[in-house]
Amino acid sequence: MAAYLVRRLAGTIPVLLLITLLVFLLLHAAPGDPASLLLSDATSEADVLEARQRWGLDQPLHVQYLKFFTAAVTGDLGKSFRFAQPVAELIATRLPATVELAAFSILIAVTLAVPLGVWAGARPNSWVDNLGTSFGLFGISMPNFWMGIMLILLFSGSFHLLPSAGRSTYGVVGAQETGFYFLGSLLGGNWPAFKDALLHMAMPGLALGANMIGILMRVTRSSVLEVLHEEYVVTARAKGMAERRVLWRHVLSNALIPIITVAGLELGTLLSGSIIVETVFAWPGMGSLLITGVTSRDYPLVMGLVMMYTAAFVTINLVIDALYGIIDPRIRY
Amino acid sequence: MTLDTKQREGIEIVGLEIPGYGSGKATAGKPGLYIYKEVGMIGRNSKTLIAAFIFSLFVGAPGLAAAQSRVAIGVTETMETFNPYGDSVSLLYGIWCQVLGCLGTYDFGKGEYEGMLAERWEVKDPKTWIFHLRKNARFHDGSPVTAADVIHSFNRIRTDPQSKQKQNIAPIASAAALDQYTVQFTTKQPTAPLTEYLFDRFIVTSKAIYDKYGADVADRKYPIGSGPYKFKELIPGQRFVITKNPDYPGMREKKQAPDELIFRIMREPEQRVTALLNGEIQIAQFIPPHLRERVEKGPNSKIAPTDSVEIMFLAMSPKFKPWDNKLLRQAVAHAIDRDTIIATLLKGEATRLDGPIGPGQYGYSPNLKPKYEYNPEKARQLVKQAGFPNGVDVDYYTPVGRYTLDKQISEAIVPMLNAVGIRARLQTPEWATLWANVQAGKVPFYYMGRGSVVDPSVALSQYFETGGSPRIGYSNPKFDKLLAQERQTFDPAKRKKVLSEAMSLLTEEAPAHFLWRHQMLYGIAKNIDYKPTPSGRIFGDEIRVLR
Repeated sequence: MAAYLVRRLAGTIPVLLLITLLVFLLLHAAPGDPASLLLSDATSEADVLEARQRWGLDQPLHVQYLKFFTAAVTGDLGKSFRFAQPVAELIATRLPATVELAAFSILIAVTLAVPLGVWAGARPNSWVDNLGTSFGLFGISMPNFWMGIMLILLFSGSFHLLPSAGRSTYGVVGAQETGFYFLGSLLGGNWPAFKDALLHMAMPGLALGANMIGILMRVTRSSVLEVLHEEYVVTARAKGMAERRVLWRHVLSNALIPIITVAGLELGTLLSGSIIVETVFAWPGMGSLLITGVTSRDYPLVMGLVMMYTAAFVTINLVIDALYGIIDPRIRY
Repeated sequence: MTLDTKQREGIEIVGLEIPGYGSGKATAGKPGLYIYKEVGMIGRNSKTLIAAFIFSLFVGAPGLAAAQSRVAIGVTETMETFNPYGDSVSLLYGIWCQVLGCLGTYDFGKGEYEGMLAERWEVKDPKTWIFHLRKNARFHDGSPVTAADVIHSFNRIRTDPQSKQKQNIAPIASAAALDQYTVQFTTKQPTAPLTEYLFDRFIVTSKAIYDKYGADVADRKYPIGSGPYKFKELIPGQRFVITKNPDYPGMREKKQAPDELIFRIMREPEQRVTALLNGEIQIAQFIPPHLRERVEKGPNSKIAPTDSVEIMFLAMSPKFKPWDNKLLRQAVAHAIDRDTIIATLLKGEATRLDGPIGPGQYGYSPNLKPKYEYNPEKARQLVKQAGFPNGVDVDYYTPVGRYTLDKQISEAIVPMLNAVGIRARLQTPEWATLWANVQAGKVPFYYMGRGSVVDPSVALSQYFETGGSPRIGYSNPKFDKLLAQERQTFDPAKRKKVLSEAMSLLTEEAPAHFLWRHQMLYGIAKNIDYKPTPSGRIFGDEIRVLR
């Protein structure tokens, strides 16, 4: 297992290299010059030249890329053009918001989709199945930005139940030092702050997780349906085992592999989905930072964020692969 | 970053907030129920509330501050840096100006510049300006604001590697302190509109704090200024909170000015409207025309319009064929039915421009000639006279989502142009691409806006003076001469006359066809009295909390 993980980790280096190279080239190929976009309207030609020099844009492309990559492997992601701050520092301030939101979405998705999928799979063509399938289809079909706006209109606009945007109410002092408002207030037992963080996270979490709920629910259903026809299930039933125990112990644990695979893949989609959802809900995470970076052609910021997203995606896949071995003892690396 | 508790004005009494219950007045140290005015609609733990209530009735609430009035504002621009010189957006200029202090501001009501830290100013000779500082101006730590602070600020704007405000001091060659309260600016050329560059823009920070702590620590930990409000909290990308400074001259009398202002970033218009109707914010910036009705129908909200100081125009670069032909440019001016676009698409929420500027902007004259009326027949004739009997094909570029209904407006303009023989192909590149190309002078025909036009001198020079910028590439020695002349004319009446002459020439030459200024709609809670300003800056002491 350890050797496998080391092999896989080593394999991530070329992936990072390729992806950052691709993004680097695409960024530079896109029209629009950071100096003209970031500097003020009335900046003199000399100031523009000075800025380009300061940002290293006067050097050949391959030199710029090599400088970026060699610095990045030592943990130095450079300085943002737009904010004149180290990119790593900027990401660190935004990372907790994105991580909390993504984790919360997964939590919602898994707790809703898996039981619903198992239930629907156990009773195919029943009303539960039909309802669950329609629900799943709804989740898959709705673009998350639309879902977000509808949620805002409904729960904030009409019912006045939830705050429409942001991460916290001003005046409710939570775990602002760490940036993990939800987790920090939960662990610290700061209940007003916890409630506030939860209320703020409910809608973006649901909007972001809706798609995953739909897909996970459908995969769970079909996987459960398939396993239900296995001989060991018939045997379990023939032994007189209670149906609930058959379902949760024998069926679900054997149906988990495809569910986890899809959940892992969906996590990647979730990360990219967060870019849009964060904008809709004014969520101060990495996604909204990336949009600022792209629109102002802030090369170091975009590169840094892309590296983070890539690393997260690779790590998630690695964890999923490691999980296989735990869930299914037959799988050995 | 949050200032520590000792540095804060007032105390956060979270457990005592009763959302949606209005407000009550209380006196520090006296028993009673202390209620914040606006805290959103989320309920609190009722047991905590009751306990706190009983506690405050019997024990009193020693040290608790008086009832705070809070106004939250949904804004669209960025707030990412603690460095007051590190960004150049109107929202931040406005916030820093009322927290740290600035030399002066433009009073849109009176139509003239007013001093803030500067008590008065004079032009000693065409290149020498003297600013006299208010002698009673104090930083929030009690130290006086002096000429040394102004010079220090000038140097920071000029040399700070993060500074994005160098353009604001571009005409100034040097700055010197004549005495403790007098500053002299020497300009490179005679620059009559110098206040347009400096006022609302030139932020004054403390030299002593900078010298003691250095830029980064001074900006992050000691944002101590001399304005009518004080810094309380800035969370980049989320919110900026400022509190009232009762020691600022005249602030004690402004009892209805909010004790706290919270600027919250909300980029989506839907979000701002919902938050306003929901009571989460009390002022929502920039409501698009199609959401106006929702705000007006809200039981506790109203709409307050203001003309913006952003002029919208169609640029026709004479560097490119066929736009080198004046008759064709004038044909465009006659072909577009601005009144219909304003009445239908913009639902009346724009003011038509006849010439580069409109009412309220410096040097505006209602009698400026020529005026282009919508006359498609005349436009067709002009196209023929221009040498295109069979019409002409052009590419027309528009931003998408940058300005109010920009794409829809352009989609309405295209058939109007087609109808007179100017066959326009609509191009909709992404903003970053379009803007870079416009700045490099590579786009012949485009829809665009120029913001912050209070005194038009700077904008006119930037877009139309020879060498101003490559954006339009128009060059006319007569126009250049008029602009140079107005910059050297310090008598306001005479200067306005020269400006009018320059603008008249420009309108006739039509390197750009000036269309309208959008009306900016603000959504405002009914318990707030606020008249938004055309520049988009929001000053707390201009807001009144009614109940």
